[in-house]
Parts: sequence; C-alpha cells; structure tokens
Amino acid sequence: MTPSINSLRSGKAIYLALGLLALALPYIITSKYLLHVVIMCYMYAIAIYGLNLILGYTGQLSLAHAGFYGIGAYTVGILTLKLHWSFWLALPAACILASLAGILVGLISLRLKSHYFTIFSLCVGLILFLTIEHWDSLTEGVRGLIGVPPPNPIPLPGGGSIVFTDLNAQYYLVLLCLVFTIFVMNRIINSMVGRTFMAIRNSEELASTIGINVFTSKLLSFVISAFFAGLAGALFAGYIRFLGPPMSHPNMTFEFLLMLLIGGQGTLAGPLVGALLVNTVTESLQFMQSYRYVVFGPFLILVVMFFPRGITGGYYSLKNRIRLKKQPRAAHKEAPPVLAADHAKTKSEELRG
Amino acid sequence: MKRFVKIMILLTLAVALLAAAGCGGGDKDSGQAKEAKVLNIGFTGPLSGGAAFYGKDILTGLEMGVEQVNASGGVTVAGEKYTLKVTSLDDRYLPNEAATNARRLVKEYNASIIFCPHSGGIAAMQEFNEVENFLIAAYSSEPKLYARGNKLTLLLPPPYNSYIDPFIKKTMAEHGKKVAMIQSNAAYGKDWGTLFAPAWEKAGGTITINSPFSYNTETDFAPYVSKALATKPEVLFVGGASQPTAMVIKQARDQGFKGGLIVLDQAKFEDMADIIGMPALEGAIGIYPYYMNPRPDKAARDKFVSDYKTKYGKRPTYEHVWHYETALALGKALEKAGTVKDAAKIFESMRQVLPLDKSIAPIAIEGVSPKGGYTNLGMAAYIKNGQYGDPIDIPRTE
Amino acid sequence: MELYFQQLLNGLTLGSIYCLVALGLTLIYGIMHIPNFAHGHLYMVGAYCVLFLCTLYGLNYWMAILISMVILAVIGIIMERLVFHPLRDSPPTNSFIAAVGALLFLEAGATVLWGADYRRMPEVFDKVVNIFGIMATQQRLVVIFSALALMGALYLFMKKTLIGSTIEAMSQDREGAFLVGIDANMVSMMTFGVASALAAAAAGLAGPLFLVFPSMGGLLIIKAFVIIVLGGMGSIPGAVAGAYILGLAESLGATVFPAEYKDLVAFILLVIILSIRPTGLFAKEGR
Repeated sequence: MTPSINSLRSGKAIYLALGLLALALPYIITSKYLLHVVIMCYMYAIAIYGLNLILGYTGQLSLAHAGFYGIGAYTVGILTLKLHWSFWLALPAACILASLAGILVGLISLRLKSHYFTIFSLCVGLILFLTIEHWDSLTEGVRGLIGVPPPNPIPLPGGGSIVFTDLNAQYYLVLLCLVFTIFVMNRIINSMVGRTFMAIRNSEELASTIGINVFTSKLLSFVISAFFAGLAGALFAGYIRFLGPPMSHPNMTFEFLLMLLIGGQGTLAGPLVGALLVNTVTESLQFMQSYRYVVFGPFLILVVMFFPRGITGGYYSLKNRIRLKKQPRAAHKEAPPVLAADHAKTKSEELRG
Repeated sequence: MKRFVKIMILLTLAVALLAAAGCGGGDKDSGQAKEAKVLNIGFTGPLSGGAAFYGKDILTGLEMGVEQVNASGGVTVAGEKYTLKVTSLDDRYLPNEAATNARRLVKEYNASIIFCPHSGGIAAMQEFNEVENFLIAAYSSEPKLYARGNKLTLLLPPPYNSYIDPFIKKTMAEHGKKVAMIQSNAAYGKDWGTLFAPAWEKAGGTITINSPFSYNTETDFAPYVSKALATKPEVLFVGGASQPTAMVIKQARDQGFKGGLIVLDQAKFEDMADIIGMPALEGAIGIYPYYMNPRPDKAARDKFVSDYKTKYGKRPTYEHVWHYETALALGKALEKAGTVKDAAKIFESMRQVLPLDKSIAPIAIEGVSPKGGYTNLGMAAYIKNGQYGDPIDIPRTE
Repeated sequence: MELYFQQLLNGLTLGSIYCLVALGLTLIYGIMHIPNFAHGHLYMVGAYCVLFLCTLYGLNYWMAILISMVILAVIGIIMERLVFHPLRDSPPTNSFIAAVGALLFLEAGATVLWGADYRRMPEVFDKVVNIFGIMATQQRLVVIFSALALMGALYLFMKKTLIGSTIEAMSQDREGAFLVGIDANMVSMMTFGVASALAAAAAGLAGPLFLVFPSMGGLLIIKAFVIIVLGGMGSIPGAVAGAYILGLAESLGATVFPAEYKDLVAFILLVIILSIRPTGLFAKEGR
C-alpha cells in the first residue's frame, strides 16, 4: 500500500479532469445525437451500478434487474401521466417503490443459493414483465404509455426556468443522478457494509462463520440494487417519455449484464466504462445490425473466460503486474491467473480509488 | 501461455475498438463529402432479434421505391440533382433506440424524412420531431397516433376500424351470431378486439369467449383453440402475423371447426393459403389479397408484383406497396417543395402531388387527410368455394 | 367434459416436448452443475436441421430426425469443449453468463443464416383422427409415443451401456467416480452429446405442429428451467414428472384461467413452490 500515495494524487487529478469533461460535454459535442447517446449511457450506467452491487460485490446473479427498472419507469409514467403528479415527487416515489419490490422479492428469493437464486430471479423478472404487459388498465399493456410529460420546469430565482424539453437540461439531470450513484456506491464499498458484501461474494460459508448475517446483508445489497434500477427507470420515463413493456423484459437485464461484464464487475469504474463502451461500439457497428449478437455472444464468452472482471479489471491486473515486475522482491512472486487472486487485488485497488 | 492469450485478446479488442471508432469517423466524413449528391431517407425499425423479419420485410418495399425513383433519374430539388438512399438503422423494436436512431439520422445523415413501422418508436419520435424538424412516415394503425395532432406525421396504413362493420355484417349473414375471439394479444389484435366486441354485440351477436393470446411466444396454440371451440362458436375471430394465424386456423380445422372466420387485416390470405391451403380458409372474411386488388391500374399493379417477385422471390403485400408508392410520391414531393430540409414544406407538397399518375402507381394513393393519413378505401374478400369472390368495398370511417 | 379430454391430449403433447428438452437440461446440470441456458437454442438449431433435411434433401421424416440428432450431438460436444470446459473451475455465475453468450450467438446466427421469418415443416402424419370425440392429427399421437420410446431408450442407455452407467455414476457421486478412474472429460462430452440429441429429437417431433423461427428456443428454455427446478435440478425422474405436470397445468390452466394470465400462472407456481421448498419438489438433497 506504500506506493499508493502518488497514485492517489494522480488518480484525483484524473477524476477531476473527467468530472470537468463531463460538465463541459454539452458544449464540446454539439451533435444532439451524440449527446443523446451519452445521456442513455449514463442512464444505463446508473442501473448497472445497481447490478454491479449485487453481482460484482455480493456475488449474486440477479436476472430480475430490468423488472425493477421497469417498475421505476412505470411508476413515474403512471404518476405523472395519469395522476398528474410532479415529476420531482414521482422520481423518489419510483425509487421507493422499486426498493419495496426489491425487499419483497429479496425476502423470498435470497434464501436460495447460486443457480436456484438466478433462475428464481429470472422467473421474477418474467413475472414483473408479464404483469406490466398484461395489466392493461394500469400500464396500457402492449400499447405502452404514450406521452409521459417531461420533468416539470424548475423556476430559477432570477426569473426564467430550467425546461426539461431541452437536451442539455436532461443531460445535467442524468449526470447529477449518476454522480450521486457513484458517490453512494463508493461510500458503500469502502465501508464495513461493503466489505461484508465482498466477504459473502468470496465465500458465503466463511462469511457466516465469522459472524456475518449473510441473509440480511444480501437483502440490503439487493434492495439498494433495486433502488438504483428504479432511479434509472424513472429518469428514462422522464426522458424518452414513451414506455413499453419490452424495457422490463429479462433481455434488458442481459443487455445490462453485457455492459457490466465488459466494463468490469466488482469495480467502481466498470459500469460506466461498460455502458459507454458497449453503446458507442454498438452505435458505430450499426451497419452490422443482425450480426450484432453474432459478435457479442462469443465476445461475452471470451470476456468471462479471460477477463472475468472486464476491461477495468483487466486494466488493474495489468497495472499490478507491471508494478510487481518493478518490485521483484515483493511478497507475491507471480500473479496466479485465477479469480481468487484477482479479488484480493481489486480490494486493495478499490480502497485506493 | 495464459497470459499471452490474455494479452492477445486485449490487443485484438483494442484494435477492434480503434477500428470501430475509425469507422464511425470515416462514415461521417464520407457522408458529408457525398452530401451534395446523396439524399438520405431514414428508416428505423427492428432489424435484429425476434421482430427482425417484420422490419426487414417492410424495408424491401421502401428500398424498391427509392430504387425506382433513382432509376428514373433521381430528383432535382432547387436546381440540384440528388439520388435517394435509404439509410436503415436497427432499433430492436425499442422506442428509446428509435429515438436514438432518429437523432442520428437527422444529425449525421441529414435525413428529413424517417420511416418507422412500430407505434412505440413513432410515439418516442413524436416527442421531438416538430422541434427538430423531420417528417415521420409512420406505418402503424395505433389510433392514439392520429389523436396526438402531430403536424409532421404521415400515417401510411388505412385505419382498420373501417373493416369492422362490413366484416360483421357479412359474417353474421353467412354463419351465425356466436363468435369466439382468439386473436393475437399484441397491440394490434387488442385494438381490433376492443372495437370489434361492442360492435358485434350491437349487431345482435353474442361473444362466447373473449380470449386473445400471444401468437409469437406460445409454443402450442391447441389449448387455446380447444378452449374456444368448447364454447361452440359459429365464427372464430382470429389474426396476428400471417404464419401463426394460419397455424391457429389449422388447429381449429384439425379439431373439427367448420364455421366462419373473421381475420383481422394484419394476416394476409395469400400468405396463409400458401401454408395451409385454400380449403382451410373456407368461409373466412379478411383483407383482399393485394396482388389481385382491382382498384389500381392493372398494368401498374402487375408490373409491381412481378418486379417485386423477381427481386425478393415472393409476392408483395400491402406493407410493401404502401412503402413503395410513398417513396415515389416523396420523390415528386421533394422536387415540388424545392427543399430537402424543410419537413413541413415537403409534407405540404406531398399532399399536392397525390394522386400520382395512374400508370406508375401500383396502389393508387388518393390523397392525405387533414389528420395525416392516406384517404384510400379498404377492400375485403370473403372466401367461398375456394375462391376469393368479388371484392367488398370498405367505406372509410375516421 | 370433452374439453378436458381434448386439453389432456394437448397437455400430453406439450409435456412430451418439454420432457425431452428438460431431460437434456437436467442431465447436464446433474453431471456438470451447469445451467445450460443455451439448451433451448440447440432445440431451435435442431428444428432447422430437420426442416432442411426434409425440405432441401427430401429425406424421410424419421431419417431426418435421426441425422439431426447426430448433428446436434456434435454441436453439443463442440459447445462443451469451446465454452464450458474452459470454465469448469470458474465461479458458477461465469458459466451461466457464458451460456447466455452462446444463446445470443445461436439466435443471431440462425437469423443471419436462415432469416427471421416463420417456417413450417411439412406434415407427414396429417390425418385427423377421432378418439371418442376428441379430434387430433396423428402427429400429436406420434409426438406422445415417440417421446415415451425415447425415454425408454434413454433409460436402457443409462442402465445397460458402459457410457450410460458412467454418466449415471458421475451424477450420483462425482468424487467417487474420479476415484474409480472415470474420465470426466469423456463423460462431460457424452452428456452434452446425449442432451443435445434429445433436444434435436424434441424439435423434430414438435416441428410439424408448431412454427420454426430463430427465437423459438427462448421461451421453451425458461419453461424447461421451471421444470427442472420443480423436479429438483439434476434429478431425472423429477424432470419427467415436472414436464408432464407443467404441460398439463398449462393446457388445463388455459381452460381455467384467462389465456393472458396463463404464463404468469406457471411462473407464480414456481415461485410459490420454491418459497416453500427451496430445492424443488423431488430433490434428493440441497445443493
């Protein structure tokens, strides 16, 4: 840990630069199309941070994530469109409702382990999807919710107001939520709670023998993950303003999963990197259209085989290896290529950055 | 060894990404370089995944129309000569992807007209198309799209609600008053159902069961058909995509159903007959097969049908011909408008150039209504003795 | 009353298809603890194989099924070698995700190669038979009895052949099997081969009744998972029982519940059962 002070400083500088870049972005890229892509990436990233917490840090693969994303979106859609709530009230309501659903689902499903949990969560995802699709009187079913109002304008003290039909205003709103998400995630994983999650990921048995209440911790992680899925969904509703059932289908969860795995599960940068990368690559590979998954499918397999912790994880391993080469007398002689070692390594990196 | 493999993969990945980024950049440049000559017509629809068939199918009609315009010399707008080009982007049936694509088509390809064949995508684009100035050519019959009053939306397909009363009248006279509803539970089938059920009852009929189900996710249709037939209906109300609809009808016939069929207009008789044969369709009322439609000029229709067949190896249906002729009309409208940018002006010219010259118009679009839909009448067929019979005119109701 | 017999027949047909697919899935899970999410897509590939062998090469229906069983067995073995073998020591979620990758690839590959449109297999046994007022095509009876025959064959294979008993031994006691010198590689490949061949058979049998299209495996695989979870993952009798239970529940459920909620019923049933018995109905022990 001794050489980390320098890297801490350079890391801070990098984050500062990235933050400034993010703030200035709408004035750097003038294309509404590109800005729109970035907004979507941020939105996905928020949902993926949720998935990252339950999968990357707690080691439970939940396939119901898009269901909570859908709950968030439809809550905002229904409250603002049908009951004429303000978006600013509907937004927290959506997060709370998604979390409540998370508690309910988690209470039942988290007693199951490993594949049972995954398959169970898949069924829950399908139930949520089918409910949204079939509950016509509430969600308009397959026709979708058309014409969700944009977030209400915020009056400025000096007169005038921030109007959210403007793309830039939407951008800053989503950016704000993303920063909030990353901030919360950073706090969680660097806290005792976060370490409890990671202990469960590394071994449930071991975690329970050292006195961790595995079930409660898993539930907490699950609920937080549902919260952020709900937040992302709520923002989606206020931005795209049309909601259809497919957004809550498990296929959407697979998309999230793809972005998370490529970005790097169990890393703080992973979700954002994954969302930005996968979406920009998909956009530039638009001409491939139906070949998309012909490429992405095998790619996903290669990623789990060789970079189980994605690009960010791969980057860290590479950095570590270089550092270890520089200090040949360091305790670990050769980095074994298995996951367990990677886990140990990341933890120190996470603590630093 | 393992490390080597890892590094290789990382390298490949990096190269692939760079290449992808390069491609993106390159595309843009070439797009701007060619701008003087090529005018992009946008299309966003499902081109991958489960609905890819639908999107790609629709695209063929549009592409053929655009090729026709180019073959007859392209378009000359305000003294500048353009060739048209369909730029199609995949939205996987998702509204947000359609919105992404629309913005991209407008910004990077300078498209001022975007075709979209699904209501979700259309609704998402309607949120900003008036502000960002592009015309949506919408292939959807969703009533809410008419009701929204969007000034830059052209609705291609005729409103389906016109079919309901004539269908009911004919079927009741021929088969009886008891109907079982087992149409598709996709948006279109549901919309039909919500209008059909009260109309049927108003005409004095009874509905023995109203049980739409999913035509594209179910493995076996037989349980639904059995359930419906157990209520002893005289008529079945069915319909979704042609192929599954044909299977539903076949299941019903296999289980001994002899009565009449009301087929909603998404399913095409000619396609279904290819799969299960005309005898299974005896007593069915539905949309008149396009390739036999007597309303347009016969020579123009036959030419289109045979050209399409040569090119794509199958018969065209209404989806294709609506898109084809819309592309032709669009070519004329662009020339008349004298602008490739101003969507409102192009739309206005579109109203003026219709109807087209009969000899080139395979469906003979009559005009555009104030709400933005085509004004053509519908046409139905009732199958008797294995024949389509005389076409039944469907008066238009909006 | 007639309706219930009609639905019984429908349910048995559906159950038979489910059964063949779920058997493969549970075999793989029992031996290797891999939830092979791509199994439904092997079923899809199998359907296309039979379809092409019948229509393009004009093969006899049964020959076509037999040959596509062999083709699929090879594809299954290749998949095991390329995808799951390298991941055998990774955490369980990794093989799950790899399976998702494989299914995305198979579906997209099929769309690219064969187009996304619905196809229909020619029907050989298309005569309608009337059994005490229940009308059905012969194909439905063919499905039911062929599935039974295949299950019988599978039973004999497991009990009477060397490979079969090695597979069974390994599913019962992994370490023990290693100790007596069973080649785990061989067993894994064989399991995948047999399971994929079963999927191809199911597809061939179901083909003439249903439509063939690239995403046909998606919903089936979820049903198959529901079945093997119901039956206890890895349990062969559990999978058979679960398949017929679900098939009947679905067709009879379609009678009782509004059609739209039928799918929900299946999943909610699973949720309830898992809430009470977290390892399924027929599981030997929790894992």
